[in-house]
Amino acid sequence: MDIERLKPHFPWITLVVLGTLVGIANPSFFDPGSLILLIADIVPLFIMALGMTFAIYIGGIDLSVQQIANMVTVIATVYLAQFGVGVALLALLAGGIFGMVSGYVTTRLYVPSFVSTLAMGFVALSVAKWLSGQRALYMDATLRDASFAWMFGNTAGVPHELAIAMVLLALAWFLQTRTTFGRSLKAVGAGELAAVASGVNVDRVKIIAFGISGAFAAIAGLIFSVKLSGGDANLANGFLLLAIVAVLVGGTPLTGGVGGVLNTAIGTLIVMVIRAAMVYLEVDATQQQMIFGLVLIVAIALTIDRSKLRGVVK
Amino acid sequence: MYELKQVDKHFPGIHALKSVDFVVNRGEIVGLVGENGAGKSTLMKVIYGAYQPDGGSILIDGGTVRFQNPRRAMEHGIGMVFQEQSLITNLTVMENIFLGYESQFVTYGVINWRAMADAARAQLAKVELDIDPATITSKLSFAQRQLVELAKVLTLEERIDGDLVILLDEPTSVLARDEVDLLFRIVRDLTERASFIFVSHRMEEVLELSDRIYVMKDGEVVDVVPHDDADMDAIQHKMVGRDVDKEYYREQKQKPYDSGKVLASFDNVSLAGRYQNISFELHPGEVLCLVGTEGAGREAILRTLYGLDAPTSGTVTVGDEPVSGFSAREGVQRGIGYVPRERKVEGIVNGMNVYENITLSQLRNYASGGVLRIARERALARSWIERLGIKTPSENKDCGGLSGGNQQKVVLAKWRSGGSGIMLLDHPTRGLDIGAKEDVYEMIREMSDAHVGILLVADTLEEAIGLSHTIIVLKDGEFQKRFDGTPGSKPSLYDLVHHMI
Repeated sequence: MDIERLKPHFPWITLVVLGTLVGIANPSFFDPGSLILLIADIVPLFIMALGMTFAIYIGGIDLSVQQIANMVTVIATVYLAQFGVGVALLALLAGGIFGMVSGYVTTRLYVPSFVSTLAMGFVALSVAKWLSGQRALYMDATLRDASFAWMFGNTAGVPHELAIAMVLLALAWFLQTRTTFGRSLKAVGAGELAAVASGVNVDRVKIIAFGISGAFAAIAGLIFSVKLSGGDANLANGFLLLAIVAVLVGGTPLTGGVGGVLNTAIGTLIVMVIRAAMVYLEVDATQQQMIFGLVLIVAIALTIDRSKLRGVVK
Repeated sequence: MYELKQVDKHFPGIHALKSVDFVVNRGEIVGLVGENGAGKSTLMKVIYGAYQPDGGSILIDGGTVRFQNPRRAMEHGIGMVFQEQSLITNLTVMENIFLGYESQFVTYGVINWRAMADAARAQLAKVELDIDPATITSKLSFAQRQLVELAKVLTLEERIDGDLVILLDEPTSVLARDEVDLLFRIVRDLTERASFIFVSHRMEEVLELSDRIYVMKDGEVVDVVPHDDADMDAIQHKMVGRDVDKEYYREQKQKPYDSGKVLASFDNVSLAGRYQNISFELHPGEVLCLVGTEGAGREAILRTLYGLDAPTSGTVTVGDEPVSGFSAREGVQRGIGYVPRERKVEGIVNGMNVYENITLSQLRNYASGGVLRIARERALARSWIERLGIKTPSENKDCGGLSGGNQQKVVLAKWRSGGSGIMLLDHPTRGLDIGAKEDVYEMIREMSDAHVGILLVADTLEEAIGLSHTIIVLKDGEFQKRFDGTPGSKPSLYDLVHHMI
C-alpha cells in the first residue's frame, strides 16, 4: 500500500484506534453523557486551534494565541461592567488587531512568523499583566449571567458551548472552501510563488490569516473567562502546546497547503482522547505536557512535507 | 591522459550525452562550446563526478575509473572552479582554501593558524596573488576571488599523485578585459602543473586560450578543432546548424500583425545589473522574441513588463498609460498573462486541481461578494480542457499529477480564459516532448489570430526564428540588433548567433 496515499487518512484512523483502545480499557468513556461533557470541555482549545489552522495552513505559525487569550480574559473581566455583551466585540477586535500586526510584521518586515507572533504574544501578556495589576480578577456573577448566561445553557441535551464550536467550525470551513479568500489561502499554502505569479495579493491573504488566528484566540479566551468567571494573565497557560498539537495531529503540516479546519476538529478530538487516557492511567497533570511535547514532535515529523524545505533547516 | 570513451547519459525523456569521446592531454587547455542545452554542463558534471555516466568509460592514464561523487574525482586529480563562486565570503582566504582539509594543520584539536597561513601563501603564489591569507574573502574583488578559487583547486597538487585536470566554468563572466588577460596568462603558466578544460559563452576567449576546441550540439560532440584551424564562423555554424522545418513551427499560419496599434512599449528602460536602455513596441498579433545567451537580460525584461521587477529608469507603457505601480497583481489587472519558465514552481500550484489553477488569476470573476461560484469555475475548466485538449481525467485532478505539456496548457488556459491581451512566454516549451511542443506552437498562432501580443523567450534559436514576427538580439543586457521575421525573409541561425556572442 502506498503510504503517501494513506497519509491523508492517518488522522481519523488514529482517532478511531485511540478511541477504541481507551473505550476498551474504560468502557465508561463511551457513555454519551460524559463524552459530550468531555467534548464541551475542550471547546476553548478547539476554537483556538481552529484559528491557528489558518496560520499553519499558509506555512506560518502563531505562537501568540495563548497570550492573546490570556489578555482577553483580563479585558473581558475588566470591561464587562462597562460594555456588557459588547465586551465580546472588544475582545474580537483586540485579538484580530494583534494577529494582523503579527501578519504585517511577517509579510512587510520579513520577520518569520514564529518570531513576530512570539513577540506579539509577549506584548499581549504584558497588556494582560498591566490591565490586571497582576492580580486574579473576578466577574460579578449577576453581570456575567446578564450578558453571557446563554453561552452555558443546554438545549435538548446539547451544551451551548458545543453549538458555538460547531457554528465557528462551519464558519471557518465556509471561509476555507467557499470564498476567494480561502482559495487564495490554499494557493499561498500550496505554492506561494505560483500565487504571486498569478497576481494573488499574497501579503493581504497572510495578514488576514493571522488576523483570523488572533480573533479566534480571543473568542477562546472570552469563553474561558466567562466559564471561570474571571480574568488573569496566566489563565490560559498550557493551551498553546495543545493547540499546535491539535492542528498537527489533525493533518495540517507545518509546511502548509494541505489539511484544514475539519482536520483540526479531528486533531482536537485526538488530543481529548489522549487526555482522557492519561486521566484513566493516572498520569500526573504535571507530566501531561511531557507527553504532548513528544506527541508534537512525532506529529511534525510525520506530517511535514520535506520537498518544500529547500536548503538548510535551522 | 584523461579520456572519456563513448560516454552516455540519460535523464527521463532526454538523451543528454550521446556517445561522447573526449580527451585531455597533459598540459593542454581544451575549450568546450555549445548552445544552451547542448550538453556542456552535463558533460562537465560527469567529468568532475557529480553525475555518473550510464554507458561508456572514464580513463585516467589508460585505467578505468569511476567516481561516486566530486570528492572521489578530486582524489583522482579532477578539480572544478565553479561559475557561481563557491567561496564562503565571511571566511578568510586561507580558511576557504583549506575548507574541509584543515586536519593537516590540527594538533590536539587546535588549528595552527600560522602553518595554515604559510601553506595558503604558497598556494596563492601559484596564482601570483599577493594578499594576506587572513583577509576576509568578501573584501576581495571578483577577479581576486576567481584566483583564490583556482588556488584552492591547486591544493590538489600537494594532496594527490598524478596529473591534475581543472575545469573552468565561465571563469570570465564577471571579469573586466585586463583581468581576463591576467587570468589567461596565469592559466597558461599553470599548464606546467595541470591541464585545463575551459567553458565559456564568449567564443573569442575560447579561441584565444584553447589548444583544441570541442563543439557540442544536442548532446553530441560534433567537431574537435585544433587552435590553429579554429574559425569562429565555422564553429558557430556547427553549434547551431540544422535545417529548420517550416511546418513544425506553423510558419504557414504566421500572419502579418497590426502595426498601427501598440499594446505595450519600453522606452529606454533599464534595470540595474540586468539590462540597459531597452526600447521596443509590442503590437496586436505580433510575436516578439528576445534572443540572447543566459544572463543577457531576456527574462528580466519579461518580468519587468509583468510587474515583478520594477525598472530603475525609463518608461514602460501598457495600453495608453505609463506604468507606475509594479506588482504582479497590477500586471494581471492590466491584462498581462505570464507563463513562467519554472512551470512547476511559478506556473501551476501543485496541490490545487485544474479548475482552481485556471481561475487563480481571476477569482473575482468567479465570485460574488467574496463567495466562490464553483459550478461556473468547473464549467469554465471543462470548456478549456476540451478546447486545448488537456489530458486529465477531470477538472478535479491535482495539477501536480499532470504531465508537463498538460500543466503548460493549464497555465495557458488560466491566462487566455481571463482574456489577457498581452502574453509573456518564458521558455514555454521547456522540458516538453515534441507533440506537446507542437501544441504550444499551435496555441501561439491561435493567440496571434486573436490579436494577442506575445513577448517570447524561446527555448532554442530555431524556435525563436520559426515563431516570431520580430526578433531582438541582446547581449550582456544591451540591445544588439533587430530582425524582421516575416516568413521567407527570416534571419538564419548564424545571423543571430553572430550578434549573441
